[in-house]
Amino acid sequence: MSADTITLKGTELSGKAGTELEAARPGKQGRRLRIFGRYVLLSVLAFIVLFPIYITVVNSLLQPSQIASKSPTFFPTSPQWHTYADAWSDGHLGTYLRNSFIQTGLIVVGQLVTAILAGYAFAFLRFPFKRTLFVVFLATLMVPFEITIVTNLQTINTLGWYDTFAALAVPFLATGFGAFLLRQTFLQLPQDLQDAAKLDGYGHLRFMTRVAVPLARPTIAALAVFSFLSAWNQYLWPLLVTKDDRLRTVQIGLKQLRATNLDQVNVTFAGTVIAFIPLVILLLIFQKQLVRGLTAGAVKA
Amino acid sequence: MSTTDTTVDRPEDTGAAVPAPRKRLFSRGVREAGLGYLLLLPAFLIFAVFIFYPFLRNFYLGFFSTPPFPGQPKSYVGLDQYKDVLTSSDFLDSLKITVIFAVITVPVGIALGILLAVLAHQKLRGVGIYRAFFSSTVATSVAVAAVIFGTLLSPQVGLLQGIQTEPSILQNPDPIINVSLPVIRSFIPSVALVAVAVTTIWQNLGLSFILMSAGLQAVPDELEEAAEVDGAGAWTRFWHVTLPLLSPTIFFAFVVGSIFAFQTFAQIDLLTPRGGPLKTTNVLTYFIYDQLQFSKNDGKAAVLAIALFGVTLILTLIQFQFLERRVSYER
Amino acid sequence: MLRSRLAKRLTAVGVGAALAVVGLAVPVAGAAPAQASGKCPVNALKNAKSKPVEITYWQGGFQRANEETLGRLVDKFNSSQNDVHVTVVNQTTYADTLNKFRAGLSSGDLPDLINIEDTGLQQMIDTKAILPAQACVDAEKYDLSDNLKRVVDYYSVKGKLYPMPFNVSNPVLYYNKKAFEAAGLDPNNPPKTLDEVKTAAQKLKDSGQASQAGFGMKLDPWYLEQWSALGGKTYVNNGNGRKSRATATTFDNATGKEIFTFLNDMVKSGLARTNPADGPQAFDNLLGIGNGNFGMTIDTSAALGTIQQVLTSGQYPNVELGVAPMPGPKGKGGVLVGGAANYIVNKSSPEKQAAAWQFAKFLNDPESQAEWSVGTGYVPIRQSASTMPQVQQRWAEIPGFKVAYDQLVGGVTNTATAGPVIGDYQGVRDVVLDSEQQMFNGKSPSSALKQAKQDANAKIEEYNSRVSG
Repeated sequence: MSADTITLKGTELSGKAGTELEAARPGKQGRRLRIFGRYVLLSVLAFIVLFPIYITVVNSLLQPSQIASKSPTFFPTSPQWHTYADAWSDGHLGTYLRNSFIQTGLIVVGQLVTAILAGYAFAFLRFPFKRTLFVVFLATLMVPFEITIVTNLQTINTLGWYDTFAALAVPFLATGFGAFLLRQTFLQLPQDLQDAAKLDGYGHLRFMTRVAVPLARPTIAALAVFSFLSAWNQYLWPLLVTKDDRLRTVQIGLKQLRATNLDQVNVTFAGTVIAFIPLVILLLIFQKQLVRGLTAGAVKA
Repeated sequence: MSTTDTTVDRPEDTGAAVPAPRKRLFSRGVREAGLGYLLLLPAFLIFAVFIFYPFLRNFYLGFFSTPPFPGQPKSYVGLDQYKDVLTSSDFLDSLKITVIFAVITVPVGIALGILLAVLAHQKLRGVGIYRAFFSSTVATSVAVAAVIFGTLLSPQVGLLQGIQTEPSILQNPDPIINVSLPVIRSFIPSVALVAVAVTTIWQNLGLSFILMSAGLQAVPDELEEAAEVDGAGAWTRFWHVTLPLLSPTIFFAFVVGSIFAFQTFAQIDLLTPRGGPLKTTNVLTYFIYDQLQFSKNDGKAAVLAIALFGVTLILTLIQFQFLERRVSYER
Repeated sequence: MLRSRLAKRLTAVGVGAALAVVGLAVPVAGAAPAQASGKCPVNALKNAKSKPVEITYWQGGFQRANEETLGRLVDKFNSSQNDVHVTVVNQTTYADTLNKFRAGLSSGDLPDLINIEDTGLQQMIDTKAILPAQACVDAEKYDLSDNLKRVVDYYSVKGKLYPMPFNVSNPVLYYNKKAFEAAGLDPNNPPKTLDEVKTAAQKLKDSGQASQAGFGMKLDPWYLEQWSALGGKTYVNNGNGRKSRATATTFDNATGKEIFTFLNDMVKSGLARTNPADGPQAFDNLLGIGNGNFGMTIDTSAALGTIQQVLTSGQYPNVELGVAPMPGPKGKGGVLVGGAANYIVNKSSPEKQAAAWQFAKFLNDPESQAEWSVGTGYVPIRQSASTMPQVQQRWAEIPGFKVAYDQLVGGVTNTATAGPVIGDYQGVRDVVLDSEQQMFNGKSPSSALKQAKQDANAKIEEYNSRVSG
């Protein structure tokens, strides 16, 4: 946004030395300074974004009294590593994490498939009532989840799915969000791509799998992350459709930790950290996809 | 909305490219429509069973005064319940808070997402690390964000305990600027709501960043480079090249962001339970939850859910009507 | 059964053809096997086809030490006999336990015995899904006289005991003896009245012993209920809702005014800092004593076990904890019973209902109560439990644990101290809290109280209009 302008001005005023970076054109010291300024800006923003997470990790390693102390501790001098073991056993996190992975995996795969199919239809195909159907898909996002719970529980029971992974996953296998997101991405693909594919004799299914989907990979990765998150963070539904610990998921464990460990807030923080580690790993994988982006895309016709 | 328009004017169907000689039972148009419906079917089935069916039942429930617990008689009250609930000051206040909450969180969240994405899109060594940092808040759930901010804002355990006054931030029903500016007073319901909004913006920042980055990836580098060669300044380039190309993503984020903002619930419940000080954080979804969970009034909750649905739907249609025209799709 | 289902469908058709389709799923709720005869099948256990009879017990909201103690009791019960086997399922919180129970009434996923918070009494009755413990007491001629009368009274409506009492607590005054001493107050003579609380808070503040305020005040409407009872006043009409369903509140009286004025003075003069009763800051009043921000507060006796554990870790060298009876307004009364109790679910088969009764009885018996009380800090609700050596020894070691018991048995026994029974308990609490906050924002105590009364009455009426019987 206005970042460049701001750093430019800063450069002119301060005139400090830049960093060792690439691309500095000869005689353009200003450019180096500008790059330095960008790093400063990036770092400040990163600090703001990361600070709350850092505090969580620190708090998980402190004594409860240090967390509540009047002079805050920013670095744990005697880290309480046992909090992680406590959180793991008190919150049944072993079983719960496994269940969360299965539930989330099913939901992510299901949502990606249904969203790609629907997004493609909305972007590339002509059929009657398309506009209405698109609104109908969007409308699914406007129904508050809480209001559907009682009826859905009855449906799950009628289907005989109580206390199964089907109950945990099937209601969430489709997403209006994903269909909309992929429609937007597909609509951004250049028209000549499709023309070229047509000349090569591609039908719709081939065009979808060989061209559209590979090109939309960054978006699909973003959707995967989003689906993963919303599934991973479910609490009420898994609590209602499962009978006992056997199929319960990680957020239930966290709530149990919160409710039973008022005297040991650090254990709650440790559980929180454990529950978001899988997401951090997922993000690192996702970064690769995002960076590859278009340049690595199979067809750049 | 221009969904149909964008596709109507495309050249003839790709079916033409399929080797021609075989005889087709159906015309091209019918086959294309059939394929369209087939692709929508899986998602539609799930929606029908788990969203539309339970939602439609609410229209029926709204006609009844429902017992607190199932299995007991409910009495038919007809449209009275709709009328009473939708004209009550509780509902109107809640609607107002919901709208304000969306107005605060959505544009700020998107603007920050664009800012971070553009900064991290630069060709700088090690920028990948910043990308990871910026997207990191998606790893936190709403519940985690609430624990974190609840701690940060606490007058007893937080970093702010030295400067806190009575009432504390999350309990403060006063607007943030405590001066006699009636406009601000009537716009911002309370400090507590602002605190919840900040938490929400922070938690959504990662997602906003990821979406905008994905959108930027789709912007061909050559275009930006060409503009740079033309001598366009950074701001001009951003305004005339990047932003228009990003507009489909921004449009998407705006529409979906507004819908999600209207569905905000968990952070309200976790940070300011019971709808906050003087009900100043009682957004519609929390109101519905409260009716279900505590008052155990399914009929009233049903009416509220329909109202929320209606308001969001109208808002979304308006956005499509007025905003999508300004979106430049590639073709 | 079939006929009634058909009738329901026909009613639905009457509403409109389109809506009828939608209405079809409704009868599922009525399809659960109804055992609501109101009779306690005490003999069903003997005749059970296979033993042990498996039952499920739902709980939620216990602190870790309490959950562990409960686990030990369950193990003891399971190994002591071969007729019944209990499985405990933790449903995370009190609120979600009731939430899941309500959902189960439609879907059929129900426990056989369930631990529900004190305030849930009227709602549990209104589910019509519970077997009153009284039925089993009568059928078996079970002797309740050793149970504290105050507790039995609290859980009885129209003379009928609904749940089997189990975990009982009440609010007490927590204060820092070291801060009291340094402020020139007598650490062994803590405040007994609201006026004394004010004076002590002033001294704590003036001496700098409490850096934020003398009194950490949790804004919990529970205290208005408690203080009304301490002042000897009922909270709702119709004998506090025990003769017949309550239709209006009665707290807009001299005692109510005294309480609201006290709260207002404390906040306005900076002698108290408030924190919400729910959410991330619900225990700020206690934490504030630990870090020296406050000198005293009021909170549930059930927290004492946890507080004690934290203090013995040696992390708070400046705190020496004092526990005293809850200071209250003028008048003669007593604190209310708090905590939770165990309800037998009548949707289960007769042998499971009988098994649930056996287990509920076990948790209530003197030995269990003694062990429970020592392990958790909850009040032993059997007179004979309170004289047992392990309880006596615990009380001698940490006298704070005895305070809640003493103030409960020391209170007057009448309709006011039996406590209110309200359907929309949470709704009433919400509007009481709202009017307290309006008062802190400038409204006068008497008009805030009047507002609270009006709004609370509306809540009560709204709920009552939706229940039958």
